[in-house]
Amino acid sequence: MALLDVKDLKTHFFTREGVVRAVDGISFSLEPGRALGIVGESGCGKSVTALSIMGLIPRPPARIVDGSVEFRGRDLTQLSERELEDVRGREIAMIFQDPMTSLNPTLKIKTQITEVLDRHFGYSKDEAKRRAIELLEEVQIPNAAERIDDYPHRFSGGMRQRVMIAIALACDPQLLIADEPTTALDVTVQAEILDLLEELRREHEMALILITHDMGVVAEVADEVAVMYAGQFVEQAPTLELYDRPEHPYTEALLGALPQLEGEDVRRGRLLSIPGRPPDLIAPPEGCRFAPRCPFAHLGDGCAEALPELRRIRPDHYVRSRHPASERQREPAPA
Amino acid sequence: MTAFIIRRILWTIPVLLLVIFLTFVMMKQIGGNPFRRTERAVPVAIQQNLERKFNLDEPWYVQYALYVKGVFTFDFGPSLVSRDRTVNDIIKEHAPKSLELGLYAMLWAIVLGIPAGVIAALRQNSIYDYGLMFLSNVGFAVPSFLVATLLIYYVALKWGLVPTNGWTTWQTKILPSFALGLLPMAYFARLVRGSMLETLQQDYVRTARAKGLRQRRIIVRHVLRNSLIPAITAIAPLLGFIITGSFVIELIFSIPGIGRYFVTAVSSRDYSVVMGVTVLTSVVIVLANLVVDILYGVLDPRTREARS
Amino acid sequence: MTLDPRDAVVADAAVPEVVAGAGARAGAPVHRASLWRDAWRRYLQNKGAVVAGAIFVFIVLFCLLYPLVSPHDPDQIELTNAREGPTLEHPLGTDAFGRDMLTRVALAGRISLAIGLGATIAILLFGVVYGSTAGFFGGRLDNIQMRLLDALYGLPYLPFAIILLAIIGTINMWTMMLALSIASWFTAARIVRGQIITLKQNDYVRAAQALGARWYRVLTRHLLPNTLGVLIIAMFLELPGVILGEAFLGFIGLGISPPEASLGSMAEEGRAEYRANPHIMIVPSLAIAVVVLCANFIADGMRDALDPRTRETKEG
Repeated sequence: MALLDVKDLKTHFFTREGVVRAVDGISFSLEPGRALGIVGESGCGKSVTALSIMGLIPRPPARIVDGSVEFRGRDLTQLSERELEDVRGREIAMIFQDPMTSLNPTLKIKTQITEVLDRHFGYSKDEAKRRAIELLEEVQIPNAAERIDDYPHRFSGGMRQRVMIAIALACDPQLLIADEPTTALDVTVQAEILDLLEELRREHEMALILITHDMGVVAEVADEVAVMYAGQFVEQAPTLELYDRPEHPYTEALLGALPQLEGEDVRRGRLLSIPGRPPDLIAPPEGCRFAPRCPFAHLGDGCAEALPELRRIRPDHYVRSRHPASERQREPAPA
Repeated sequence: MTAFIIRRILWTIPVLLLVIFLTFVMMKQIGGNPFRRTERAVPVAIQQNLERKFNLDEPWYVQYALYVKGVFTFDFGPSLVSRDRTVNDIIKEHAPKSLELGLYAMLWAIVLGIPAGVIAALRQNSIYDYGLMFLSNVGFAVPSFLVATLLIYYVALKWGLVPTNGWTTWQTKILPSFALGLLPMAYFARLVRGSMLETLQQDYVRTARAKGLRQRRIIVRHVLRNSLIPAITAIAPLLGFIITGSFVIELIFSIPGIGRYFVTAVSSRDYSVVMGVTVLTSVVIVLANLVVDILYGVLDPRTREARS
Repeated sequence: MTLDPRDAVVADAAVPEVVAGAGARAGAPVHRASLWRDAWRRYLQNKGAVVAGAIFVFIVLFCLLYPLVSPHDPDQIELTNAREGPTLEHPLGTDAFGRDMLTRVALAGRISLAIGLGATIAILLFGVVYGSTAGFFGGRLDNIQMRLLDALYGLPYLPFAIILLAIIGTINMWTMMLALSIASWFTAARIVRGQIITLKQNDYVRAAQALGARWYRVLTRHLLPNTLGVLIIAMFLELPGVILGEAFLGFIGLGISPPEASLGSMAEEGRAEYRANPHIMIVPSLAIAVVVLCANFIADGMRDALDPRTRETKEG
C-alpha cells in the first residue's frame, strides 16, 4: 500500500477579490522510502499542496474543497484538528524555506527540539535533552552538547536549517515534506543540506517530498518528479526519465533555463527564459493553462478551449499537453 | 547579561542629571529669586535671611550642584510657601497616595487590558473583536475627566455603589483607579491584539503547528511570550500618562495626592515644590524606562547583544 | 525646476516613500502622482477613515461658520434661561449663565482646533529640524542628540507644559500652542530621524551624493519631500495629544483665560455644575472626544493607505 495517496486534491482560497484556485486537482502516490520532487515556479501552488497535506492551510480564507489525502490508509482531510495534531511532527514532518524565521528567536534550540519529543513521546527532561543532542549530532552540528543551549540567532543559515531537520526527524516520521529547504541558503551550503537530507532519508527509510523551483536541486534528490503549473501537475515521471525525455513544453523550457556545461545549448550561449507570466488563479483560463506561453500551441488545436487531461504517454510517465515532445515530429511546425 | 544591565544603568545617570538640570534651568527662568517676585511684600531683612538660607545668593552653578546633591540625598529643600514644611514632608505626605492610585490604575490596565487584547486576537473579526477595538478607540479619545465624571455620576451618585470621593476605604479606591486605568487599558488591549496578530503570522508559529503541538501550548509558549514584549515596553510611556492623568483624577475625586498638590503649588508659586515633584516624577519615569529596557533584554535575547 | 545636472539622474526617484519599514523596499522608484492617487484610493476604501474624515471636516467647518450665523450672542448672559437642557432654541442647552452652548462650543472649538493645529505644526517643525539633522549626519551628533532626547523624554508631559506656561507667564492661545508643542515634539523628532535614516540607505541618495550634491541639497530635495507622508500621519497622531493636553490643562484651571474659552476651559466651568446639570460639562467633553476619535481614525486610515503592509491581515 502506498504511504501517501493524494487524489484530486483541490485547495481554494476564498478572498474578497474572488476564489483563488491555488491547487486545482493534484493526484500522486508515494511509496515508503521514496522521494518525490515537486517543481514549479513561484505561485504555482506547490507550497499550498504541501500545507494542504499537513492541514496547515490558513483556515478562514482557504479550504480543501475536494479530493482526499490518504496517509497510511487514513484520509487526513477528514480528521479533526486534534487528530491532525497527533499526526503532525510524529508521522509527517515538515521543514520550511526560511530557517531564519522558522525558529522561535526567544527560545533555546534545546527547547524547540525537546518540545516535539515531549509532545509525542512524553520523554523526561534528561532523556529529551540527551536525544536532542544526539539529533544535533546526526545533522552534523559541531559541539552539539554546548550549542544546544544557544539561541537561534547564534547559528548561521545553514546550521539553522540543520536544526530544523533535526527537529523534523526527532520523532522518526515516515514522511518528510521539505518546502524549498535550500532556497534561502548559499549555493555551497545548499549542496551540503541536500546531501544531508539524502543520507538521513536512506538511514531512516523515510519518504520525502521535496518542493522547489530549482530543477538542479530536484535532480539530486528525487526518485520521481512532478512538474506543477498553475495549480496542476503538467508532467509526472521518474527523475532520469524526465530529464532525458521531457514531454511537456513547460518542462522543456524549465530544463532549457538551466545553465549547461555541455550540449547544444552551450553554443547558443544564452539562458532561455520563459516569456509571459502564469495565469491568474482566480479565473484560470478554460483551456490549457500553459497555452498563452507555449511555443507549440496554435490556433485550431483546441489548446485554448479545453484543458488537456493528464495522460499516460509511457509507462510511469504522464503529461498534460496536446503537444508532448514525442508527438511533435508528426505535427506541422507552428507558424 | 550583567554587562548589559550595568551599561544601561550607567547611561541613566547622565540622563537624570540632564533632567534635573533642565528643570533647574526652567525654574530659574520662572522665579529668579522667588522672594522678590511674590505678591506679598517681604521685609528686606527676612528676605536676605531667606536668600542665604536657600543659597540664593550663590552663583547658579553652585546652586545647581547643591540641588543635585540634594536630589541624590533625597533632600528637595524647603517649601517656599508653607514655611515650616520641607518639600520632603509634603512629598512624603501626599506622594504615597498618588503612587497607590497609579499602581492600582496600572493593575486594572494589565488585568483587564491584556487578556482583552489576547482574546480579541484569537477571535479576530468577531463581534468581540470589533466591539473591543471600538471601545479602545473610545477609550483613547474620551478625556478621562469626562469618563471619571460620568462614572461618579452613575456608579456613585445614581446607583450608590461606591463613595464619590476620597481615598480611604477600599471602596473609595475602585472608581478613581479604574478611571485612571482606562486609557492604559485600551492601549494594552490594542497593543497586545496587534502584537499577537503579528506573531500569529510568524513562520515559527507555523513551524510549531507543523510539529503537532497543541494549540494551547503554541499560544502560551510561542505566541504570548513574544507578543507581550511590546506590551511590557509600553509600560514606561504609560506610566507617564498615568502620572499626568492622576492630576485630573485626583482633582475630581478629591484625592489628597501629589498631583493635586502640584497644581496648587504652581498657582501659589511654591517653586521648590513644583521642582521637587517634577524631578521626582522624572526620576520615576527614567527609572521605569530603565527597568523596562532591562526586562526587554531578559525577554528577548537578541537585544542583549545588539545594544550599541 | 532647475536644470542642475546633478539632479537629472535622480529626478524620477524622488518620490514619497513612507513609513519606517519602507527600507525593505528601499529604492523602488514609483511615479510620484500615482503613489498619492493610489493612497487616496486606498484611503477611500477604509470606511471608518472616510466617515471620520467627513465628520472632522464638518466639525471644522461648523466651528468656523456657525458662530457667524448663530442667532445667539455667545457672551450674552441671560440668567432666566440658565442651565437648561437641550431645546429647540438651544440645541445643546445653556450653561450656568444662560449662554447658548452650541454657539459657545463652536467658538471654543475654533480655539481648541487652532491650538491643535498650531501646536502640531510647531511640533512637526521642531521634529523635522531636530530629527533630520540627527538622522542625516549620524555619528556622534546623532548619538548626542538622541541621548538629549532620552533625557527630554523623562520629563512628564503635563508638568513640563505647566512649567513652561509658568515661565512664559500668560496663558493665551499662542502661549498654549507654544508650551504644548515644546512639551511634546520628541516623538515627531524620533519618527523623522527614523525615516531619514531609512531613506538615507536608498541608492538614489548615494547617487546624488556621488554626483557631488551638497548635503543641504540632498536633504531638502530628496530626503525631506519623501518624509511628507510620514509627517502627515504624524500630524494626525499628535493632534489628539495636543487637544487632550489643552483640555486637561483647561480642566485643572490652567486653561485659557476668559473671555476666550477653549473646550477644556468650558469643561472646567461645567465641572461645578455636573451633579445637577451634567450636560454643561458633557457637551464640550464629548466635542473633544469626537475630534480626537476622528483624528485617530484618520491617522489610521492614512497609515494604511500609504503603506498597506502594515494593515493587519484580515485573512487568518
